[in-house]
Amino acid sequence: MTSRWVAPLAVVLLLAACSSSPATQPVELTVYAAASLRDALEQVATAYVTAAPGISMVIATDSSAALRTQIEQGAPADVLLSADIANPQRLFDDGLVEGGITFFAGNTLVVIVPSDNPAAIRTPSDLARQGVRIVAAGDEVPITGYATQVVNALAELPDYAADFADAYEANVVSREDNVQAVLAKIELGEGDAAFVYQTDALASGSVRLVNIPDEATPIQVLYAGVVIATSAHPEAARAFLHWLTGPDGRAILAEFGFMPPS
Amino acid sequence: MTTRLPAALLVVFLALPVGVLVVQAFAGRAMVDAIATPAVRDALVLSLVTTTVSLVIIVALGTPLALLLARGRFRGRALLETVVDLPIVLPPSVAGLALLLVFGRRGALGEALEVAGISIPFTTLAVVLAQVFVAAPFFVRAARAGLANVDRQLEDAARDLGAGERQVARHVTLPLAAPALAAGLVLCWSRALGEFGATIMFAGNVPGRTQTLPLVVYGEFQAGDLEASIAAAAILILAAFGVLLAVRTLNWRRALDLRAGG
Repeated sequence: MTSRWVAPLAVVLLLAACSSSPATQPVELTVYAAASLRDALEQVATAYVTAAPGISMVIATDSSAALRTQIEQGAPADVLLSADIANPQRLFDDGLVEGGITFFAGNTLVVIVPSDNPAAIRTPSDLARQGVRIVAAGDEVPITGYATQVVNALAELPDYAADFADAYEANVVSREDNVQAVLAKIELGEGDAAFVYQTDALASGSVRLVNIPDEATPIQVLYAGVVIATSAHPEAARAFLHWLTGPDGRAILAEFGFMPPS
Repeated sequence: MTTRLPAALLVVFLALPVGVLVVQAFAGRAMVDAIATPAVRDALVLSLVTTTVSLVIIVALGTPLALLLARGRFRGRALLETVVDLPIVLPPSVAGLALLLVFGRRGALGEALEVAGISIPFTTLAVVLAQVFVAAPFFVRAARAGLANVDRQLEDAARDLGAGERQVARHVTLPLAAPALAAGLVLCWSRALGEFGATIMFAGNVPGRTQTLPLVVYGEFQAGDLEASIAAAAILILAAFGVLLAVRTLNWRRALDLRAGG
């Protein structure tokens, strides 16, 4: 009877052992990053593994909030690069961060429409017109907080209707998990307009930009990075963050339209 | 005539999306190119490795359980069968959340595992556990039905002829139940291969580590790389189609009848 259970148990234990054993010689850095960083980080990783021999990188992207939740639940990330301050701050407050919070990039919001602009959006005021299908991100996704700030600021402008914010909300037809998903829906023409980061808009060949009046531009969007307390390679993780905020990292981020953090 | 039209409508509705996807995948060289991308290639390898490990675990632990359910006489059997069947009807996101509440850092077993130096969530092991959780019932159900249909008199006859329990199992019980076991196995494999919801919640979406084919379909779509998404989807469709066709042509249908032996 007992022997029947030994083999399967051995398999399970063997698997557990595999997953818990420390990474083999070349240090593998696992970077969890905001979806809006995806393209830039691909290039960052390529450059960094050349600059830092013995390092390899795994990059996972999703909304900063989803990644923060995963880290809280024990995801083996070495670094979180977030599109806001709130999510790293929460990890910091929970004692899940090693060291401090590093600001490494800035960004701003734009309105995008599909290249054929089916809803004829010319200014952000058109976003409140009845029947316009707006794609937004979920409440927990950082961009939603920024978009709300912009919408509220727009509503204060003289040529905007008093119920602009409510009318905008009423036009939201979808709440996506992250910014990349919002962008994809507009690229595919499944929505008429959306707020995304300037960098996402610049990277896409199949959307058009609609300018937001300067008066309504949100406080600058700041990207913050932290080293996760459970990281097996905190020094390597710290060194990567340092490099990212240095001239080489800045140059790549700038190529993708990111601004230096101010 | 009156039955043909609605029937045809449903067939078209069921077949068209799948057909269009496969045609799109093979039109031009999109599929070939996309399979060569690291995301799809890594996910294909990861999917094959994890489903293989999952199957080994499921067969090793599931066969004794199926035997118990098919042969055992004990109180609470109906309850036990219901518990075992439950993952079949649970939304996978519920399964993922539940697994996280057990194995997560803050989960029921999380602390004990952490003390032991084992971290499961968001690792490849988590992918395997998610697959075992959602797919095992398919094997256990089919195996239970198959084992219940084995004629006990044939086993007794073998015993009368001097066969030991091991020989009875190897030469009588298992061969007679083999079609059911095999059918359960392929169904279980396709369920594990297609597993998405529990995986993304419990194992995350890290390329090369937890990003299986269904997660590539989602991840690459979100990232706007429709071709890689379609390529991964086409692989999954062809695998599922092959499995179902195999089950049918090899005449394992009786074993799949979920009413049998229940």
